[in-house]
Amino acid sequence: MSLEDASLDVSEGELLAVVGENGAGKTSLMNVLYGLYQPDAGELSVGGQPVRFKSPRDAIARGIGMVHQHFMLVPTLTVAENVVLGREPTRRGLFDLERAISEVAATCARFGFQLEPRARVDTLTVGSQQKVEIVKALHRGAQVLVLDEPTAVLTPQESDELAQVMRGLVAQGRTVVLISHKLKEVLGVADRVAVMRRGRVVAEVRAAETTVGQLANLMVGEGPRHGTEARAPTSLAGLSPAASRVEAIGAALPEAAVPIPGGQVTTGMSALALMGGVPPGAATERPVPSSEGTGPTGTVALAITGGTPLEASSERAPATSAGEALLEASGLQAVGDNGRPALRGVDLTVRAGEIVGIAGVDGNGQRELAEVVTGLRALTSGSGTLLGGPLAGLTPAKARERGVGHVPEDRLRRAVVKALSVEENVALGRHTRPPFARGPWLDFAGRRERTLALLEAYDVRPPDPTLPLARLSGGNQQKVVVARELDAKPRLLVVVQPTRGLDIGAVAHVQAKLREARAHGAGVLLVSLDLEEVLALSDRVYVLFEGRVTGHFTRPDYDERELGRRMLGAGTGHA
Amino acid sequence: MPERLRQALPSVLSVLLALAVCWSLIALTMTPGTATAAYVEMLWGGIGNWPAWLNGAAATVITRPLGEAAMKAALLTLTGLSVAVAFKVGLFNIGAQGQMILGALAAAVVGAHVSLPAVLHIPAALVAAALAGAAWAGLAALLKLYRGVHEVISTIMLNWVALRLVDNWLVIGPLRGVAEGGQSITGTAEIQATATLPRLLGELSRLNLGFPLALLLAVVVWLWLERTRTGFETRAVGLGAEAARTAGVPVAKRTGVAMALAGAMAGLAGAVLVLGTEGRYPGTLGAPYGFDGIAIALIGNNHPLGAMGAALFFGVLRAGGTRMQLLDVHKSFPELIQGLALLFVAGRMVWLALLRRHEAAASVASVEVPRA
Repeated sequence: MSLEDASLDVSEGELLAVVGENGAGKTSLMNVLYGLYQPDAGELSVGGQPVRFKSPRDAIARGIGMVHQHFMLVPTLTVAENVVLGREPTRRGLFDLERAISEVAATCARFGFQLEPRARVDTLTVGSQQKVEIVKALHRGAQVLVLDEPTAVLTPQESDELAQVMRGLVAQGRTVVLISHKLKEVLGVADRVAVMRRGRVVAEVRAAETTVGQLANLMVGEGPRHGTEARAPTSLAGLSPAASRVEAIGAALPEAAVPIPGGQVTTGMSALALMGGVPPGAATERPVPSSEGTGPTGTVALAITGGTPLEASSERAPATSAGEALLEASGLQAVGDNGRPALRGVDLTVRAGEIVGIAGVDGNGQRELAEVVTGLRALTSGSGTLLGGPLAGLTPAKARERGVGHVPEDRLRRAVVKALSVEENVALGRHTRPPFARGPWLDFAGRRERTLALLEAYDVRPPDPTLPLARLSGGNQQKVVVARELDAKPRLLVVVQPTRGLDIGAVAHVQAKLREARAHGAGVLLVSLDLEEVLALSDRVYVLFEGRVTGHFTRPDYDERELGRRMLGAGTGHA
Repeated sequence: MPERLRQALPSVLSVLLALAVCWSLIALTMTPGTATAAYVEMLWGGIGNWPAWLNGAAATVITRPLGEAAMKAALLTLTGLSVAVAFKVGLFNIGAQGQMILGALAAAVVGAHVSLPAVLHIPAALVAAALAGAAWAGLAALLKLYRGVHEVISTIMLNWVALRLVDNWLVIGPLRGVAEGGQSITGTAEIQATATLPRLLGELSRLNLGFPLALLLAVVVWLWLERTRTGFETRAVGLGAEAARTAGVPVAKRTGVAMALAGAMAGLAGAVLVLGTEGRYPGTLGAPYGFDGIAIALIGNNHPLGAMGAALFFGVLRAGGTRMQLLDVHKSFPELIQGLALLFVAGRMVWLALLRRHEAAASVASVEVPRA
């Protein structure tokens, strides 16, 4: 589901960047390349020869090295030990540390890395640890080096240094594939940029001829979006989610971008080509997904006929007449899990009867914002009023008492307890109030009755309240969560990534319920990385970038280009 | 209730397998006849020699063994509950032994040095023991919540601290008892008659109030976990702490309370031992009922009633174990059976996986319900 007919090729001595929103399939594509996933269809060739990787071992043998986002180093071992781990030099059957050190020193010297082979890895900075990872791959003879979000953990200075390292490797004839969503950075270092969207490579452009804004537009896609997204018609239930989505991209490619014309772009000798989704042989002509969206794989993009242009205006009506402010915050600051500031002064308001969307590239403070509003994360500065009480000192219990509902991002960790039954999960968080409790006792009969009613209303299958929640599919689990939170009649509903990973029917159902909550006068704060979802549902949109609000848009004035630019920090003097 | 049965099945199978293995061991080293006879002796030693009674022996051939079994079962139930309750909130309480030592000491001190009528003296001694055990377990909970110390490490270490503190200092030092003649004795002073747990069958057996108390507590703990708001919160914390926190459950409080309750159960085991059987804190507490509690809880699937059932079963076996000596079979076989059963239960994931595979073959389609 995460990859669909994606094709890519890289030439020797080239630096190719792969960009896309979260979930666009970048990492999946690279995992196929590294032998971690096996493609269902399609072919992979290295140096012109078709290959099939059963495991990373095969990929390494073919000269492909991967530097993961999360380092795979043993912190208590030295640089040299980490680099040779798995293929240690030995002398008379014993590990030969001196030889390991000299070999690693030679590799470092050859590629110009300043690393002390005897240093313990846990004494190194993050940037240096990353270099160890790169040296490890090179030491194993990697010709093609794949870096997954390498700058996510680096300081700007370290990022600059990494850029030099990558250029240096390319100059020595190595091939580098850089996965990133930092567009500015990508354009500064890459030769060519491949843009992924919904599991496909939708465009490839020369870095020198492209701007950040154009790339952003390619990433998020443009065109007649509202109303075209498939929603909920139950007749679609039999189709795979990917197949029932309407692709609406083709029309949106800006002039400067170079869509791939029918076939492969092969610059020089093809070091590596990856043809996804297409059975070998059928792959001679690669389709650029167009608005007609007919691919050779049989994934027919549907035009939804009779598809209620969802934003049928009656549904949208309450938005304009938004009521009292439920959440008013100014100057919110909070620290993220990594100890760095995640919110750096956010002002926002959510009123009754409106859906307020938070757009942004992953990791720009959206998650922390939702956690602050639900009492899960403490404010370090700033103030606000939430449903008549202060935002400072909020706890999850207080938030619930005031009428905050929460559909968290990480369902299995935050929203449900898998090992408890469906009805126990329905009660979770409301187990102190009727009909779930009577005094200090749980009210089993009341709980059963309410659960059965909700399972019916939300079409949860199977409608068995005693089943352990883990036995439900992800979509049904999410319905249970949404049912629980909405049944509490929240005055403010905080939803984070409410439809991620759900199939099309469940997506539509959940979105319809959010609109219904708005219609009943609730305020909804919607955080989603899926910009389409944010735009389709929200009456107003705040754009977050690096913990600050960099844009505020009100329906119908959604200028997506401008939105995309704001998501990447434009208009703040930062980018 | 097939789901309940399936939960219990691995434990039952494990115990049966352990019985079979031990029988084989005896049969191989001696004769199969001896092995069977030893098991029969063990049974009569645990549940009473009914055939002898039917043949006209005194009622004590039944009441004495049953009383011994009940007293062992009471202690195992309480320590088993201790481990099981901690487990429900997601903690592994290895410290029941230390908590029991502190509880036993508190009961001995209150029993000997406080003068009250029996209706108040017994509850006072029991409460003191429960509080002492709770405090000792509470230390581990505080270390966990505020310093991130893993409870397995802290409770193991607190066991040793308790042992050294009580056996190697308090009991032979400040709290050492003095006999009436003035000569010193080992252990603390005798408890007063008003603090002694009354025997329920008089001279017929040593069965005392501790046994019904343990059973009652097992039922109360079960009801608390299953039927009350706070019990539900406790289980939710154990099964998904982050989800519980998101739902507004005070996770630290629930963890602390459950751990304190675990300590209280172990402390009560110490009190039952001192007030019911020993009459004072002896020089050393002897039997490691606290460690047995780990086995009992696990064999009982960390369910309060399951732990009670396991405790009753092994109470019978262990009371009867001494009778095996009549046939030159060592009396520690019941403990070996318990240990093996624990080992097999630890493999419960394997049992369940086997069961599941068996079922999955039958009903692949019904597990994942297709789509919304």
